[in-house]
Amino acid sequence: MHPLLHSWKATLLYLLAWVPVGLPFGLLMWRAGSLTALEATALTVPVVIVLAFVCITPWFMCRALPLRSTNTLRLYGQWALAAIVVTVIVTMVGRVVVSSLSGALPGLERGFTAVSPVLGAMSMMIYLLSVATHYVVIEAQTSRRSELLAREAQLRALKAQVNPHFLFNSLNSISSLTASDPMRARQMCIQLADFLRTSLRLGERASIPFREEIELTRMYLGVEQVRFGTKLRTSIDVEPACGDCEVPALVIQPLVENAVKHGIALLDEGGSILMLGRIVKEGMRFTIENPYDPLAPNSRSGIGLANVRQRLEARYGGAARLDVEASKDVYRVTVVVPVNAS
Amino acid sequence: MKAILADDEHLARRVLREYLENQPAIEIVAECANGFEAVKAAAEHRPDVMFLDVQMPKLDGFEVLELIDPDIAVVFCTAFDQYAMRAFEAAAVDYLLKPFSEERFRAALRKIEQRKGEVRPASLPVELKAAVRPAGEYLERIVVKDGARVHVIPAGKLDYAEAQDDYVALRSEGKTWLKQQTIASLEAALHPKRFVRVHRGFLINIERITRIEPNTKDTWVAILTDGTKIPVSRGGYQRFNSLVGG
Repeated sequence: MHPLLHSWKATLLYLLAWVPVGLPFGLLMWRAGSLTALEATALTVPVVIVLAFVCITPWFMCRALPLRSTNTLRLYGQWALAAIVVTVIVTMVGRVVVSSLSGALPGLERGFTAVSPVLGAMSMMIYLLSVATHYVVIEAQTSRRSELLAREAQLRALKAQVNPHFLFNSLNSISSLTASDPMRARQMCIQLADFLRTSLRLGERASIPFREEIELTRMYLGVEQVRFGTKLRTSIDVEPACGDCEVPALVIQPLVENAVKHGIALLDEGGSILMLGRIVKEGMRFTIENPYDPLAPNSRSGIGLANVRQRLEARYGGAARLDVEASKDVYRVTVVVPVNAS
Repeated sequence: MKAILADDEHLARRVLREYLENQPAIEIVAECANGFEAVKAAAEHRPDVMFLDVQMPKLDGFEVLELIDPDIAVVFCTAFDQYAMRAFEAAAVDYLLKPFSEERFRAALRKIEQRKGEVRPASLPVELKAAVRPAGEYLERIVVKDGARVHVIPAGKLDYAEAQDDYVALRSEGKTWLKQQTIASLEAALHPKRFVRVHRGFLINIERITRIEPNTKDTWVAILTDGTKIPVSRGGYQRFNSLVGG
């Protein structure tokens, strides 16, 4: 639906805006066709009203023919055709008006023959002007929307970078170690700082080599290892060729964090997180597998997963995949991204 | 004073132990790494205070709170839960945000001293649990105490609940469990599309209902899959019909 037709008020305002267009139009009819003022008004009013509604229609066609992605020849051809159709319609409306009023205003018939080329030309001009205006409005809307989307994505990425729960729990572990094992406390401080610094740095970049994402994941797991001790066991097996694939920053680390938080942390005995990276036909496939307690109070995957999914979608559209399989006690997340499609 | 420490991270327990070493009046009677152990230890040792982590295996801190004696003073120890803060204040004597200083810890101990003898209302833990649950999410499981052991009933395995004074009787897999809770609070916590309050005293899992038959002029009877008959009031009948779209 055209935004101008959303409410009665908007439609009325729009029609009012046509009054200043109608005036010179009528004036021209009056002068060019040597019509009387009454005849010129009788012809102009219906024609201008029809034109006002015709000038709304480009909204739909503009969206079917986006400026950027439409072939130039096709663009010109389609609009030329539309302009001709519009001209014919307006002229025909004029003719219908004239013939229905020929009894009351006999001078109209003769005058119309003289003005109809002017009428046609002006209608075409006004229609094409409206097409241009529609393109400008649509373009402005799109850029505002994409700006908004970009900002949202940025915010989400920032939020994803540092999970406060992880941060405060790690600080608590450090606080504990300062008394019992000062050397390990210092080491953990450094590990945590390295992780935070790297994740902030990577978060600023649109895409990073997969190698760096894995490195960040290792740093994260290093910190968690101190918290969970032998409860947390990990194995990372990534084919060397995966390392050069460009991926959006911070898509894997949050998934591994989920595996720790909702999987390992809620198991009494802990467990192993298995990570596997392979080049496959569709691109690169990365799998994270962890045991979990299906009955655990909070085993749901939470915000992290939705966040990653949205970011993959924003980047690759439908070309990337994020699959989640939860069997009886194993949770598996698979990410497939096209290779070097960024 | 007897204290129990319940936290799945050994380093987190170590801080508590370290701080408590400077408190000769308090004796640590048990250290627990999951919720089941915490409930069991609470029943065994009857402590005066429990330091309780929120995220733990088996049972989370709120569920532990539901199942332990209401006269045990509870201090929650948690890393970060902005929206849960106010809820903690209501149900626990105090809450400590990790990492916390020894000074802050002593302040919590003073609060315990001050509030000695206070008993938590039985409904509080359940309300607390509801307060920290995000909107649109419902209880997936119900925890009940079976002597000193804990039994978990997944919501899908609950056939029906019947109000019995201060308790609800929960019927699941051929057994009946008693829990100190009102049927209204249970109804509020469970998914409204999966459980229907057919009667003031009865809440039924909608999947268990095979049919509803008229009984007297204004009452009906629900027949469950195992043949059990549950009374249905006029209001309950309407609720059932609006739920199944009849």
